Amino acid sequence: MTNESAEILVFDISAGEPGFVAEIKELGGREILECIQCGKCASVCPMALAGFPVFNKKLFHAIVLRGREMLLEDSSIWACQSCNRCTEICPKDVRPFEIILAMRRVAVREYAVPALATDGLKSLYDVGHAVYLKESGNTRKKVGLPEKPPSTISYPEALKELQAILRKTALADIGLIPMGGSGVADSCEV
Amino acid sequence: MKVGFFIGCNTAFNRPDLEQAVRFSLPHLGVEIDDLEGQSCCPSWGTMPSVDLAGWSAVSARNLSLAEEKELDIVTVCGSCYGSLAETRHSLQKDPELKEKVNGILKELGREYRGTADIYQSVGYLYKIVGLDKIGPSLKYNLAGLKVALQPGCHTLWPSKIYVDREEDSFHPHILQDACRALGADIVNYSRLTDCCGMGGMRSADMERSFNLLGVKLRSIKSEADPDLIVTGCSSCLIQIDTAQAPLNKDGRINFRIPVLHYMQLLALCQGAEPEKVAGLAKTGLSGVINKIRGDASV
Repeated sequence: MTNESAEILVFDISAGEPGFVAEIKELGGREILECIQCGKCASVCPMALAGFPVFNKKLFHAIVLRGREMLLEDSSIWACQSCNRCTEICPKDVRPFEIILAMRRVAVREYAVPALATDGLKSLYDVGHAVYLKESGNTRKKVGLPEKPPSTISYPEALKELQAILRKTALADIGLIPMGGSGVADSCEV
Repeated sequence: MKVGFFIGCNTAFNRPDLEQAVRFSLPHLGVEIDDLEGQSCCPSWGTMPSVDLAGWSAVSARNLSLAEEKELDIVTVCGSCYGSLAETRHSLQKDPELKEKVNGILKELGREYRGTADIYQSVGYLYKIVGLDKIGPSLKYNLAGLKVALQPGCHTLWPSKIYVDREEDSFHPHILQDACRALGADIVNYSRLTDCCGMGGMRSADMERSFNLLGVKLRSIKSEADPDLIVTGCSSCLIQIDTAQAPLNKDGRINFRIPVLHYMQLLALCQGAEPEKVAGLAKTGLSGVINKIRGDASV
């Protein structure tokens, strides 16, 4: 996957995948067809400002043109800050962020996921926190706190409960991460 | 007054000095903290929200139910936790089918999501619930003469309609500004106030572009406002602005350093907390600012 290349923005419309729009709607991007490509979302998007090639407006255009494969080859969607400026400003109430999440959900089902996202999910399952620093006990002690926060880290029963929930979600059906017993506790910063 | 403190991964493991600041400052305002024992990740955007709406909502709903069973609202210092929890609360409110699905999952664990707990970001909580007028009497030090630039943080602002402590005009926010004025600070303005700090998914995806985005913002802050301190309402902004300044200086994208604090750290310092405990993990030197605040050279 890349977000460097500009060429991928040119693609063969005849290669578009039928059913892609329905898939996006099914996975949460319900208002995709309301988008009129006005560009207000792009005008406030940090991804657009930072130079990622496939920011919100372009993504929605590509979805409507059914460019599923092309989009799976680009990782821009993972740079979305989830800031919801687009949701705030969209004049058609498209809820653009939900379409970005829907595209991520398509990518997850194709295992086209950056390593850090998989690591975050794994860490969420293993310790209950997407961000977890193994050495944080010392840092916490240094500022006068107990080594462990009062979270799933301190309460094994709570972690088991969380894991039971996660095993009942689509994450288990997709099989992106191993979901066995806990105990893995490597640091993860995502 | 009592509230559930949703700590968040980054605060618990990366900046526990911020956690300590909350544990100091809220009780000084007469707010008792409940730990919501067994809380997990909110879950953050790159995890369950990117997999499935029902799964995201189920993990969030479990966290929310911890507050519900104690009949408490939730306060957090992290923009992502605030956004993720508030988004799911909103989805569960408007979508009975989703709520039924989520409660189906929770039921087997003896839990139920009812929708009774509200979510606040810390500064919004002070503004809407505690009252900024309570802050003055709790202070030991005043910020008179200290020039402060603001970084409200994306998630504290948008999408405004899902938040109970929303700004009246989210593109012209004033809550953090009012809260800083309650400490006596002199607010200095700059044009890129609502620009993103570049943390989050962007930093994970591409650190260079993330730092560049912050560089633009920092240069705007320096050239237009030249503050003594940046104050933010979000733990992610805190970490990004604090840690990115060294690499930005190293390769010449900026040639200055501006200390940064989360509002709750600044509040705790003004209330007389020990700097080592509530702000001791900052990478961008704070000693000048702390000396100014405390009027001594103890750090």
